Amino acid sequence: MARMTDFPQATQTSMANLECPRFETTPCVSGPPLGQRRVALVTSAGLISRGERPFTSGDVDYRVLPADTPANQILMSHVSVNFDRTAFQRDINVVFPLDRLRTMEEAGTIGSLAAAHYSFMGATDPRGMEANARAVAGRLKSDRVDAVLLTPV
Amino acid sequence: MSALAHYLEEEGVPSVAISLIRLHSEKIGPPRALWVPFELGRPLGAPKDEQFQIRVITRALRLLECASGPAVLEDFPEDDPTAVNLPGWRPPFDFTAGSIDIGEREVLEHALRQEALAVAPFHERFVAANRRTTIGLSGLSIDDCARLLAACLAGSFPANPDPSTNPVQALRWAVDDLKAYYLEAMSRDSAIPSSRQMQNWFWDKTLAARAIIALRWQLLASDDKRSQAIGRMNLIPGAQVQRLGLQ
Repeated sequence: MARMTDFPQATQTSMANLECPRFETTPCVSGPPLGQRRVALVTSAGLISRGERPFTSGDVDYRVLPADTPANQILMSHVSVNFDRTAFQRDINVVFPLDRLRTMEEAGTIGSLAAAHYSFMGATDPRGMEANARAVAGRLKSDRVDAVLLTPV
Repeated sequence: MSALAHYLEEEGVPSVAISLIRLHSEKIGPPRALWVPFELGRPLGAPKDEQFQIRVITRALRLLECASGPAVLEDFPEDDPTAVNLPGWRPPFDFTAGSIDIGEREVLEHALRQEALAVAPFHERFVAANRRTTIGLSGLSIDDCARLLAACLAGSFPANPDPSTNPVQALRWAVDDLKAYYLEAMSRDSAIPSSRQMQNWFWDKTLAARAIIALRWQLLASDDKRSQAIGRMNLIPGAQVQRLGLQ
């Protein structure tokens, strides 16, 4: 469904022409087997905790979502209206799959679940997020995270 | 997402990105990415399908063990089984937007509130079944969201509940809450229609949608650039703008 040919022509054109950052090198950090890794979620879905200030256009900051945040306390405040929200409304795991990672932790597929998870908002030039992304990396390392699953919308 | 992966990895944190737009992942080249053939907004594919979602996550996380990096971009082989239309689907409530004059503030406000009231039992059932709602960005009740929309269409921006927020931005969040209210209420038992079915029904059949479309025209005609931008980009999905001929 998210194949380029499924989008309206105008969307295809804007996606094809979107300026993407280029990187000189591609670092690739190794780690232990998956069953020994501590996993965190980082999403660009614009998720916030209920009561927090929603994201607005151009925001490059992030929100912390502790692992014990109840699903009913998590809202989506992404500025774009051009993606499906009905699936997220029915099942938070379709974007922010903490329950699924808990199941995988219990099954031993992953080692453990991080204490906190993070949300940015896409639809913004990611180069503006660099400093905040590096700050999140520092938090993740403090939590001994050695596997991050990044989920877009 | 792909750029964030670069920054995290440069700091020593291993990552794998789910990719919804393959072209962008090809351009940015994150260390590891799993492209999924799902609708935008659904990186894990099928809602309420635990096994499907775990297959996506497992496939993605296994790329962390891949020794052939850097810049691994793999494709997930399954489609989202819930992306297809449900034959004969209808929402649990049915009404049409009618022919009321939405230029009459009191008439519109009354009709919008009545329509929202008619949806309430179905939304309550959704919340009971799912133990959550995604409504809450505006901080207003649905009744107050409807009143705000009617007031704004009449050219009057009521006092902003949060003075630190741009009133048009606050209005946009009230519109988001209204849309979520209707779309959440459309669930019927375990049957999950495609997002396209739900969106088409909302934009074709409800007075709320008629009012939001009118609001869009109003904001587009505004002298304020922020109002224009929110009207153009943040109220109605582009696919619906195109389908309804609102360009």
